[in-house]
Amino acid sequence: MSTTAPAPTAPRTATPPTALPAPGLPAPLGAGERLALVVVAVDDSVPGVRSLSLARPDGGALPSWTPGSHLVVEVPPGAGRERRLANAYSLTGETVHPSAYTVSVLRRDPQEGAAGGSAWVHGLAVGDTVTTTAPRSAFPPVQRATRHLLVGAGIGITPLVSHLRSALRWGRDVQLVQVCRGGRGAHLDEVRALGGDRVTVLDGRAALAAHLPALLADQPIGTHLYTCGPADFMDAVLAAARALGWPESRLHLEHFGLAALDPGDPFTVTVTGGPTLEVPSGTSLLEALEQQGYDVPHLCRQGVCGECRLRVAPAASTGVHHRDLYLDDAARAAGDCLMACVSRALPDPATGRAHLEVSP
Amino acid sequence: MVSPSATSVPPWAREPHVEPADPTGRTHTLLVVGPGDGQTGTAVRAVAAGWQEELGAAPVHRHDCADAAVAVDALHADLAVARVGHRVLVAGTAEACLAVRAAAVRAGLADDELRFGAVAADVRTVWCVHCSATTTAAVAAGGVVACPGCARSLLVYEHVSRRTGHHLGFMVDAEDQPWEESA
Repeated sequence: MSTTAPAPTAPRTATPPTALPAPGLPAPLGAGERLALVVVAVDDSVPGVRSLSLARPDGGALPSWTPGSHLVVEVPPGAGRERRLANAYSLTGETVHPSAYTVSVLRRDPQEGAAGGSAWVHGLAVGDTVTTTAPRSAFPPVQRATRHLLVGAGIGITPLVSHLRSALRWGRDVQLVQVCRGGRGAHLDEVRALGGDRVTVLDGRAALAAHLPALLADQPIGTHLYTCGPADFMDAVLAAARALGWPESRLHLEHFGLAALDPGDPFTVTVTGGPTLEVPSGTSLLEALEQQGYDVPHLCRQGVCGECRLRVAPAASTGVHHRDLYLDDAARAAGDCLMACVSRALPDPATGRAHLEVSP
Repeated sequence: MVSPSATSVPPWAREPHVEPADPTGRTHTLLVVGPGDGQTGTAVRAVAAGWQEELGAAPVHRHDCADAAVAVDALHADLAVARVGHRVLVAGTAEACLAVRAAAVRAGLADDELRFGAVAADVRTVWCVHCSATTTAAVAAGGVVACPGCARSLLVYEHVSRRTGHHLGFMVDAEDQPWEESA
């Protein structure tokens, strides 16, 4: 038997460590919980774009959020809107213990086919109440990146503002390229003031096309690319990156302003333990279920938010035609879930029958 | 039995396997790891030749390295100037491939920037959770190896550290010790 010296003990502190004091901080919100916020400021200084500041009625601190997060704002029915809309807007303000949430909304004209949510935001006044979700993170910075390259166009700058601010605060290498017409656009003065020579502003797509290949060809290997803007802009950015060998793991995009989907082919759906319904062309599965009185949780109705996910019984279904932007490749390949707002049945190649069996 | 697809052990670290080169890469580092003579050297050079043929005219920085440590140095030198679009290919034993992968992961490379060609997968490094010693042995996952640090018999678990490239080893007979009976 040998004795060993006792292990040296760490010097004891006078008081045991405790959680950091956090007086007055809000409790985290549960899933699906809503915030009732008040419009405390409106900024219309950039033509066509309205920036809203939303705060708690009591002025208390709001939940912190990850850079790139968005808020889903409920737009009530009315003024030509048949049903409640849920629009996602990127948060642009302070991320840590904010006293207000700020979003910037480009007005899209309902006369030109927009659903009317942005027009409603542009009609809000200080003192109005707005119902939102808690911030949702779907476009976060990658912590392992050695450089963050942010490429935005138009109102697509909004999620990149918080990326830029966060990267600068933490001393991370960051570059922002913003495309806008005539050198004017939302948040431009703000990002220029924040980022200085890390910010490049380009006037129009032609300038971007000239700038992009050289930019994407010369990024150190740890760089991650984040892009947000109109779909065709992001397609162009990603195509240029892929052509230069960028792997998918370094490419990140934030969708908004989705292109309209085609009406799709009719199919049938069985709700497990319930009836079988016809889903005609032009009607979504979500709408068909709602018409039958099913209450399917949902927010965006455009395949982005992930709320209306339903389970699919693969053996009893002919296949899923995924049209959402939410599920990853593994979840799609599994064929056991879908987003009811946009996705449909894929016909059986042999019989042509298109059928799904779903459950909540 | 653990499902192979559900573990952190790459397929090429279970049995010899060569992944295809990635033609979407703009430039490539090719690390050919193994002594110049002998069976391993011949095999890794054959893998490298196959990849170079696949990659055609794409620029390839080839490094023939005697061992994994030399390969890691060559990798670091290339990564210091590499731009996004660069890929890394490693031909060697599974042990060497895991060691180089660990260095690549620590340097910030992503899985879709790395390709491996393992010409043998019988030898692995095992890290002891009890004393932190590492041993190199011809032992399969699920087998048992003696720890050189603490003499415990280690079960080689179906887990490889991405950060170190070592398999996880823990005491195989921990539940079958005298103190258990006397309790």
